[in-house]
Amino acid sequence: MRINPDPLPDLLAALGQNEQQINTDLEQISSGLSVNVPSDDPAAAAGLVENANQTSQADQFLRSIGSVQGELQNADSTLNSVTTILQQAISLGVEGANGTVNAADQQALAVQVQGIQSQLVNLANLSYQGNYVFAGTATQTAPYVLDPTSPSGVDYVGNSGVNSITIGTQFTVQTNLPGSELFSSPGNDAFQALQDLITGLQSGNTTAISTAVGEVTGASNYIDQQRVFYGNTLNQLDSQTTYLNSDITQLATQQNTLGGADLPAVITNLQTGELSRQATLESMSDTLQSDLFNYLK
Amino acid sequence: MSSLNATLATALSGLIADQGALEATSNNVANANTPGYSREVPVLVASDPVVDDPLTLGTGVTLQSIQSITDPILESQIQQETQSQGQLSSLVSALSQTQVNFTSSTGDIGTAITNFFNSVNQLSTSPADLSLRQGVLTAADNLATAFNTTANNLTAQTTSLNQSVVQTVGQINQLTSQIAQLNGQIASLENVGESAGTFIDQRTQAIDQLSSLVDVSVIQSNNTLTLTTASGTALVAGQQSFQLTTQPVASGAQDIFAQGNDITSTIVSGQLGGVLQARDQQIPSIQNQLDTLAAGLANAVNGVQTAGYDLNGNLGTDLFNPPPANVTGAAASLSVAITDPSLIAASSDGTSGSNGNADAMYALNSQPIIDGQNPTDYYSGTVFNIGNAVSNATAEQNASSLVLQQLNDQNSAVSGVSLDEEAANMIQYQQAYAASAQVITSINDMLYDVVNMNTLTT
Repeated sequence: MRINPDPLPDLLAALGQNEQQINTDLEQISSGLSVNVPSDDPAAAAGLVENANQTSQADQFLRSIGSVQGELQNADSTLNSVTTILQQAISLGVEGANGTVNAADQQALAVQVQGIQSQLVNLANLSYQGNYVFAGTATQTAPYVLDPTSPSGVDYVGNSGVNSITIGTQFTVQTNLPGSELFSSPGNDAFQALQDLITGLQSGNTTAISTAVGEVTGASNYIDQQRVFYGNTLNQLDSQTTYLNSDITQLATQQNTLGGADLPAVITNLQTGELSRQATLESMSDTLQSDLFNYLK
Repeated sequence: MSSLNATLATALSGLIADQGALEATSNNVANANTPGYSREVPVLVASDPVVDDPLTLGTGVTLQSIQSITDPILESQIQQETQSQGQLSSLVSALSQTQVNFTSSTGDIGTAITNFFNSVNQLSTSPADLSLRQGVLTAADNLATAFNTTANNLTAQTTSLNQSVVQTVGQINQLTSQIAQLNGQIASLENVGESAGTFIDQRTQAIDQLSSLVDVSVIQSNNTLTLTTASGTALVAGQQSFQLTTQPVASGAQDIFAQGNDITSTIVSGQLGGVLQARDQQIPSIQNQLDTLAAGLANAVNGVQTAGYDLNGNLGTDLFNPPPANVTGAAASLSVAITDPSLIAASSDGTSGSNGNADAMYALNSQPIIDGQNPTDYYSGTVFNIGNAVSNATAEQNASSLVLQQLNDQNSAVSGVSLDEEAANMIQYQQAYAASAQVITSINDMLYDVVNMNTLTT
């Protein structure tokens, strides 16, 4: 039985394959990736697309969270200040309802309460990075303006709109409370209460003053309750931040699993490939050079 | 009773036959590296004996023919496998170029989609902020550019594949002409009973080359060889070759015509088959997926945009220029229709601080807006498709390579020149020649004795 007398094509083919393998190994080592083009591992390539998208989304959620945290924290501490000044108004009112004060004192107290009213307008018109925080969605205009013709002494020119942002997969949080809910809610209208207190003090009507003090107390308590929204939302943002950070770490691990080169294995493979190549070249130089013609003299 | 002259003739026939056998050996050695050469074997046959009662005497040796050793079945198998190999290697080559567009980079479509939605999410944190709005416009522009670039690359690749079709058809025509000519040379030799081994080898080579280019079916009948494509289009019939032509069709693609008929869709193998498969099936499929993704995204974003209000309180207008209704060309033509950042409709209630519409636009990235999938899932599916196509074709190509290698090895075992064997044969024929020459010398001496017989009796 004759055998193939020409081993050269096979040897060259083997060398070619060997070189291709060496090139693949070198590419993996230099890029650190086992998936450099989709055909290296189509399923992993698709998985890496998803992974990159999820990681980038998580990074964006963290950025967005950071963007709104500042505003929420500002709003929260402003409401703290609101409660403080309302407490001052209550003290002034209690003093004004005391039988020991005279009309002149009551006028003086009324002026102080008017000052508090102005302060409340300023606090309610809190602006953060160009947006009015308590204006609902009409954030480009100050929501409260002083208006002597208005029963509550102010006009609310904002709206009742609320915004939400997405900070996780199908996870949205509301990011604002409109002034109409906080300071001008019917039955708990802080401005109305202050205006009533001013009117009561100016008229010297003790009953009216006491009633107004009750209104201010009610409004202050109401604002405290509403403020819980900000605390809760900030807590949610903190938890979500923790979750996103751990998610990003997991995604990085997954990315490495899917597409990272197993460097020790690849380097070993490369060394084996180079040895094999050496062996092939040496055997080629030996076997191709001798045939019977060499031995005939 | 024999005669010395007869013996001389017998010895002479040995000289001539060995000389001829050496000629074959010499030809083999000279052609040891000729591609497609089949080794020649001298067919030595004992010459017809003569009857000289009561003896039957041999008359020497005849070199009847010099035969090329081939295995037609192996050759046919090699041609078949060469066609597969040609088709697979050109398919892999074309698709490998295509898949470069889908490797992950900072400018790839997947990243651009994610960045666009990220910019919308950022906008939702402060919808009246002009720089954030500009960020959305920039991201939309980059998204359009990513689609445009990929679509244009695919179009450019199609153009180069068309050029490849034209070139390959030219090569096919050259080979079929060559084969027809060889058919003529072979026929003229075989018709007078001569062996046409060398020409047959050349023709086999040419058919092998043709097989790598296009699917070929070989029909041998009565000394003529007919070549057709697998679907029956005539390429060569005896000494006549049928030229193929290329003409551009309505879509701009170069189609292949034989005698006025468009045979493009019937060519399935060889390099031409691979190029056509890439040009007419695989690339258009990828192009279509891109168009679907681009159109789906543009339409969905426009839908949300026009349902909301811009910074000036007006109803939103299209963010992207509307894509074609039949989707074709959407990726190449995707472009942003807005340059003024205040026109982005982030608001859901008409006020400048509302982000409801921006949040709704962000939500699109997880909604099944592209053929039942969200945009990133659809894109990753496309990446998988192209990667899988290349990977499968590469695996098949490697397998085909191995088969072809084995077939070639087997063929070489049958037809390949072994220098060891030729050296051994050479010694054999040389010795036999020397022996016959020695016989002639002896007969010469004997003839001398006969001629000088009466002078020896002294």
